Amino acid sequence: MTANAREKILLYILIAIVLIVFMTPIYLIVVSSLKPSALMFSRPPTFIFTPTLQHYYDLFTMRPFHLQILNSLIVALGSTAFSLVVGSLAAYAISRIKSRWINDVSFWILSMRMFPPIAVVVPYYIIFKSIGLLDTPLALIIVYSTFNIPLTVWLMKGFFDEVPEALEEAAQVDGHGVIATFWYVTLPLTAPGLAVAAVFCFIFSWNEFLFALMLTGSKAQTVTIAVMSFWSSDAVQWGRIMAGSFVVLIPGVIFVLTCQRWLVKGLTMGSVKG
Amino acid sequence: MSSVTLRNVVKRYGQLEVVHGINLEIDEGAFVVLLGPSGCGKTTTLRMVAGLESISDGQLEIASRVVNDVAPKDRQIAMVFQNYALYPHMTVRQNMEFALKPQKLADGEVDRRITEASRILGLEPLLARKPAQLSGGQRQRVAMARAMVRTPKVFLFDEPLSNLDAKLRTQVRLEIAKLHKRLGTTVLYVTHDQIEAMTLADKIVIMKDGHIEQVGSPEEVFASPKNLFVATFIGSPSMNLFQMTVEQAELGLLLTSQPFSVPVPSPLLSKLSPGRQVTLGVRPSDIRIAAKGEPGSFEARVDVVEYLGIEALLNLRIGSQEFIAQVAAAERPVPDQDVSVFFNPAGLHFFDSQSGQAL
Repeated sequence: MTANAREKILLYILIAIVLIVFMTPIYLIVVSSLKPSALMFSRPPTFIFTPTLQHYYDLFTMRPFHLQILNSLIVALGSTAFSLVVGSLAAYAISRIKSRWINDVSFWILSMRMFPPIAVVVPYYIIFKSIGLLDTPLALIIVYSTFNIPLTVWLMKGFFDEVPEALEEAAQVDGHGVIATFWYVTLPLTAPGLAVAAVFCFIFSWNEFLFALMLTGSKAQTVTIAVMSFWSSDAVQWGRIMAGSFVVLIPGVIFVLTCQRWLVKGLTMGSVKG
Repeated sequence: MSSVTLRNVVKRYGQLEVVHGINLEIDEGAFVVLLGPSGCGKTTTLRMVAGLESISDGQLEIASRVVNDVAPKDRQIAMVFQNYALYPHMTVRQNMEFALKPQKLADGEVDRRITEASRILGLEPLLARKPAQLSGGQRQRVAMARAMVRTPKVFLFDEPLSNLDAKLRTQVRLEIAKLHKRLGTTVLYVTHDQIEAMTLADKIVIMKDGHIEQVGSPEEVFASPKNLFVATFIGSPSMNLFQMTVEQAELGLLLTSQPFSVPVPSPLLSKLSPGRQVTLGVRPSDIRIAAKGEPGSFEARVDVVEYLGIEALLNLRIGSQEFIAQVAAAERPVPDQDVSVFFNPAGLHFFDSQSGQAL
């Protein structure tokens, strides 16, 4: 066997290990969500069984799961959109303003991301209660954005730094204003950055549990809380939890795949020098 | 009529002043080159004209309108950047369309201008390509086309050839010259390359440390440099300088420097008195090999001979003083030979050693 072939086999083994580590929980979720409840904890484990969609049926009939998915979508997409708009504008300003204090400002923004969420749950609860935002998607959008904006700012600053200022100057000399220059020249060149930021923001907001648990009740409940609610002191409904978990996985995967075509770097190649 | 006028234009960054009160008039249709070494303020001056740098003091007029506080987009200028600055996510055609967008022209007019510019610059086959798919020379032409379609009042070029290789540079230089001849638009062009300046300019503005040292036609700055800086900056190889002292001789005043001397020309007699330090400048092309014993010739030792094909550069020495002569290759001597050299009297330049100004 040549060294090259050996290297390849080793590579495939490593890939297989990684795949097993990451895919086993998903396999268990899918299989368990289709397993009749009686076989869930049978010993030895049952691998061959007649699949059932009962857990999925229960999920959508016993609970307003579709509404909870909708809540999650509103919150995740809302916070992502808001964070991208505010975050990328802030990042652009930080990238372009040349001043000593701007570094302090950007570090301060980053420090917001380091805040332990648990420390602010109670203050948020009191604030939202007093202004009547408790149990609304808007409350979660605001809270998630405080974590998503710093991330977006830091990520996008790097991308804006990479866009040569000469391109913006060229657009200005060509007769475009600041906003048109940003919109038509700078922003399209940072599309990969926006895609990465969108994926991170969406996934964080979609998966978030602590704030959703504390700040929502019945109306604005998100899927993470909905799935957990099948776990009660009386019984743990594993089938429904698994079915719920699988449904929860889908939007994230779709979102990441949608953004993937923008995740290609190298758009700035060839703009400057040759 | 003046197309661009700078009156006492100053640029300061905080306490640091980098351009010190520049005055310059650029006639309509002229090709003016700002020439100088790195850090002389030429690019800063160009960027002030473009509106990309603010003007700290003084006044800038474009087409008889004060534009100090006018945004770049409203100055009716077009600029070609050193690194081309093409929009990488747009095709060649879109690059030009984007430059025309603010003018809100009819579609037919946009097409007409793009077609014309691409025909003049030979870009027709490249219109659908993106900048990354173009060579350096092609990118440079696209940058020029993008500036051209806007039909500006003034073209600004910021060292447009510095990223090209030597052969391409000559080619694009010619294209720029042709383009200017064809369009007749005022051009302000920044470079540190004297050959670009000499070949392209109607008027050269030589800058140093934020000051204008001399403004003149290529012939003027070459033949009558105003000071030592201009004298040595223009011309390649640069002018030879000799430190001389004015001495009284029987026949009149002499400039001497052991072991040779030259008579002071009559127009300078009234300005010089014995004992004064004068720098004598002679271009290598004004030095020739003379016959032995020819009146006014000096003996010099040949150190190194650099053969360049048509001509040769001789590194010569008189005593400890080294200098360069440019002679026809066929007449070149061999190294370590003693030769007689003759300085063309019409090619002698005299500068005050202290102030560096021409006498």
